[in-house]
Amino acid sequence: MRDLLELAVSASATGCVYALLALAYLVMIRPTGIINFAVGEWAMVGAFGAFLAVTKVELPYPVGVAAVLACMFVVGWATERIAVRPLVRAGAPLLAPILALLGMLVVFRESVALAFGPDPYPVPYPLGFGRLELGPLAGSYQSFFIIGTTLATFALAWLFFERTLAGKCFAAVAIDRRAAALVGIDRTRVAALSFAAGAVIAALAGLLVGPNVSAHYLMGVPLAIQGFTALVIGGVGRVEGALLGGLLLAFAEQLTARYAPLPPGYAQGVPLALLMLFLLVRPTGLLAERGARA
Amino acid sequence: MKRCKLLIGALALGATGIVAGGAMAQDPIRIGVITDKVGPARPYAEPITEGVVYGAEELNRRGGVLGRKIELLIEDDQGRPDISAAMARKLVDAGAAFILSLSLTQATQQQQTVTMETRTPQLTPSNSGDTLTTQIANPFFWQTGPLGSTQIATLLSYARAKNLKRVALISDNSDLGQLLAKFFRAGLEKSGIQVAIEEVVPRGATTAEPQLQKIRAANPDAMFMAGVLTPENVLILKAYRQFGLKFPIHSSYNLSVPQYSTVAKGLLDGITFVDAYDPAKPEVKAFVEAYEKAKGKTPYNLHGYGYDGIRLVADAIGRAGSTDKEAVRAAMQATNFAGVMGAQGMKYRFPDGKRTGFDPEGMVVRVYEGDRQGRVVHVGTR
Repeated sequence: MRDLLELAVSASATGCVYALLALAYLVMIRPTGIINFAVGEWAMVGAFGAFLAVTKVELPYPVGVAAVLACMFVVGWATERIAVRPLVRAGAPLLAPILALLGMLVVFRESVALAFGPDPYPVPYPLGFGRLELGPLAGSYQSFFIIGTTLATFALAWLFFERTLAGKCFAAVAIDRRAAALVGIDRTRVAALSFAAGAVIAALAGLLVGPNVSAHYLMGVPLAIQGFTALVIGGVGRVEGALLGGLLLAFAEQLTARYAPLPPGYAQGVPLALLMLFLLVRPTGLLAERGARA
Repeated sequence: MKRCKLLIGALALGATGIVAGGAMAQDPIRIGVITDKVGPARPYAEPITEGVVYGAEELNRRGGVLGRKIELLIEDDQGRPDISAAMARKLVDAGAAFILSLSLTQATQQQQTVTMETRTPQLTPSNSGDTLTTQIANPFFWQTGPLGSTQIATLLSYARAKNLKRVALISDNSDLGQLLAKFFRAGLEKSGIQVAIEEVVPRGATTAEPQLQKIRAANPDAMFMAGVLTPENVLILKAYRQFGLKFPIHSSYNLSVPQYSTVAKGLLDGITFVDAYDPAKPEVKAFVEAYEKAKGKTPYNLHGYGYDGIRLVADAIGRAGSTDKEAVRAAMQATNFAGVMGAQGMKYRFPDGKRTGFDPEGMVVRVYEGDRQGRVVHVGTR
């Protein structure tokens, strides 16, 4: 039982990271329809940003994190302006910006590789390295910090989409872009903001997972794959779906690795098996869009 | 008239000298280097390549080899065996007299198809796969990286005194990590030590807690780490410390790279690791001092592999007296060279027609003292 409860904390923390990446995909997909696989590289840039701001420049952790997230807001906005908007304006098919963003993925990765080299760099722990026991639950300080920060982020995202006019604009563009434009919603502004928000959320995931995995130039692609898998499992229709998908994926991974009678290494096939299963059986994900349900 | 003839003769000789000198200046010895600049081997290949480049610069400062400068032709195979042979072909076509292979073991294996056919001498100064010289009977290929089997034999000889009965083995899912795990498993079983549990931490994992939970449940006498991916190894160490585990850790050479002192700060004390680098060795001290002076940064063991590699090549060409491939092959086979790598007094040799040149008794075991790579605590396999 001790192992299971320890694993629950560990899997929840991992699932929260996946969920944040799924949320980053979601905020861009809903208003634009564009899948941006560069979210993993944004997470990597966020982790390197934390290394620079907190470890090198020695800013206080909250200040360093705020600075990194502000920079990533600009990066996301600029990405949309450079790699997406010109193609959309030129009437290119939806595949064109997706491919352009794959190109941006390489640009981000190789830029970081050129700047920092192939070695991993330490990302600071906000609460230090240690073990916290809360009743029967036990895990690292960082695991609890990830869980708390992620829940707060999802609560803010939910409030934004459900309770604010700006959030409703996002939803309106997601439901019908032409109708949204007809009622005066600036679609290009929504698209730019969605990319900026996506970059901030992805960077937050990198900031949170960075202390565990270190910042290194190859960390982005696995995170992008896990985040996308979480999105497919949870569904792109609702914010809660991203959280649910991330948690389900992480629990499946870690319970399989711990308890399934599989040869070592086979557990890593679980996410792909889940991805295929959900694409075949429930391509809309676990949580359907509210509008679609009605 | 006689004086005039002498003058013309002298001018002619001078002109010949100038032409010859010009030819020498324009006709360097080309050494091909196949490295990985973007792929999975990059964290290793980059410092090794830096060691090669520094070694070539040092040789050129001292006049080159056979009075000719060394020119490095560096190609990137992206760690992909499927394009590695094409890179070897490109280098041969460009006139490479020798090829240094610094990418993945599997890529080096593919390059051999070209070097064997074209009879071009090829050396890997860093690959550790045991099968590189056994699967292909290529008399133009040599390996001076310490074999995986030598690593485990050295580590086991150190651990033998610990009376281990049941151990855990943990690695990552990289090709090299799996290959090393295979060598570790074979070596442990041969020594009568039971591998009670074997776990793999996949590349890109965000935690190793499930794997360490299983290992904790198996209650081993010690844990052997065969992985080569630094971030994944750090995850293992974090879970180990977080669970408060006490069994000792013995690691492959991966823990000998200095990045651990920063990315695994506070997690390393007491861990033993196998290495091919003894900081107390005079050759190492001289190399470190000269490299720091030239490059402004401190080299480590991976730089030493590259540095030794280019000097082994230069030594063979120098003794061969030309770049004739057969002559260089014969000279390389007769190598007797003390480099930076290896225990004190170790020399690279290829006795009895063997093409693996790292002395099986030349590896060392070192221990982390705090976050610092500490002293040598054991040498060789006996």
